[in-house]
Amino acid sequence: MHRIVLFVVYRMLMGPLLRILLGIKWKGAYRELKQQKQFIIVANHNSHIDTMALMSSLSFWQLKYTHPVAAATYFGKKKWLGWLTRFFVNTILIKRSHEGTGPKALDVLQKYISKGHSLIIFPEGSRGEPEKLQAFHKGIGVLLEQNPQIPFVPVWITGTGKILPKGALLTVPFEASLTFGVAQFTKAKEVQDIVEEVKNAILNLNATFIP
Amino acid sequence: MPSIDNLNEIQQMIAVIFGVLVLASVLFWTMGKFNNGPQVQELKTRTKSWWVMAAIFTTAAVVHPAVSFFAFGFLSFAALRELSSISKNTRPEDRSVIFWAYLAVPVQYYIAYMGWFAPFLIFIPVFMFTWIPFVLVLKGHTQDIARSMSVIPTHLMLTVFSISHLAYLLSLPELPQFNAGGRGLLLFVVFLTEMNDVFQFTWGKLLGRHKIIEKVSPNKTWEGFIGGLLSTIATAFFLRFLTPFNEFQVLGAGLLIACSGFVGDIIVSAVKRDFGLKDTGTAIKGHGGILDRIDSLAISSPFFFYYTYLLCYS
Repeated sequence: MHRIVLFVVYRMLMGPLLRILLGIKWKGAYRELKQQKQFIIVANHNSHIDTMALMSSLSFWQLKYTHPVAAATYFGKKKWLGWLTRFFVNTILIKRSHEGTGPKALDVLQKYISKGHSLIIFPEGSRGEPEKLQAFHKGIGVLLEQNPQIPFVPVWITGTGKILPKGALLTVPFEASLTFGVAQFTKAKEVQDIVEEVKNAILNLNATFIP
Repeated sequence: MPSIDNLNEIQQMIAVIFGVLVLASVLFWTMGKFNNGPQVQELKTRTKSWWVMAAIFTTAAVVHPAVSFFAFGFLSFAALRELSSISKNTRPEDRSVIFWAYLAVPVQYYIAYMGWFAPFLIFIPVFMFTWIPFVLVLKGHTQDIARSMSVIPTHLMLTVFSISHLAYLLSLPELPQFNAGGRGLLLFVVFLTEMNDVFQFTWGKLLGRHKIIEKVSPNKTWEGFIGGLLSTIATAFFLRFLTPFNEFQVLGAGLLIACSGFVGDIIVSAVKRDFGLKDTGTAIKGHGGILDRIDSLAISSPFFFYYTYLLCYS
């Protein structure tokens, strides 16, 4: 049931809407992504549209087992909002590191990975100023260090910060694009190096033009 | 509204269009076998988009007029979105005002569909040209506001006001002794504008020596322009069964379409050059897609519309 709801929401409604009305283009290896079994999508973050567009890139089988990771303080503030994002966006809500007790965020994510699920992670942590890349948090490095058998898929997103920037409610159509890299395993061994590697993989997608 | 018994001229024209397309596709495909350079590639992509355009135009022309209004409205919307996205001349805080500009698209096409002539004329040039500056002022940021005030309405003129004239052709009243009607006029102006581009390109490749404005559009030559002009006028003469014009008037229409199409082409070229999209090589592929297709049409359609209106409908 959940799987069908997600399919209807993302593949039948959200995907076409983003393409036709908002003018978002999918570029690069987005078709190859649908063949992957387990992966971690790593992307830069400008807008809520990013999550919607990434979810719309997944196949019927992947949707249910792929979770965008979001901050509990933001979406978990109200109970109904947390429930809605969990059901319709399939989110895992985690606590930011400075927010008191409870299970450690990375342990929660590790549990999902061990179950064979996939993740969508925005290592910048928050959307920040539109169209500006911020420093990457090291969580992605830790996850990939603990799970070197899982490939990461770098995605460079541009333009969505104009469509729906942080703090705005009005969604305005502008051209934007998602450029997908191929799924790849980390070569680095240290957490900090892995973070650098992931970041460079994303930035390279921006530099190399992929039609 | 046009009725069923005028399908004959329209059918003839559709046959001509698809004949030309098949010919062009075969020609460029064969050329590609011998020499698959960037120019042949460009011709191939152009032909592909013509197929799409021809399919949309003909379905719209044959199925129901409302489909055409919707299709043209979407074309305007997509062109406006593209222009707003590549423009360097709007500020980040203009988002909500650009949203108002998008809202003008359905209104303008609804007016065109209903055939309200005076509102059609004034909605964008008078009303939106006031409304956009007004909402900009309400937002209260005056830094660079004059630039946004002039640029956003101009985007509307170039992408919405202009193209909506193609749609309004379908709302023109029926004339006695003129069977093809608005659909005939629509096919006439779109076909000739596109053909004029091709003629100019071909003559320019064959004979081109003297550049017209090298800094904007290095491929435009006087030989190409004049060759294209004459070819377009000749084609117009043979297609006069689609129009209510007499022999002389149809030559004038050909001349007007060739000249205004050329003007539209170089205006959009210059704009794209300003935005840095001309010099970036392959990066053009992702951008400028729709604007590139409608550049000549954006100017030729209102010019042709008023030419026809003043000669035959007023």
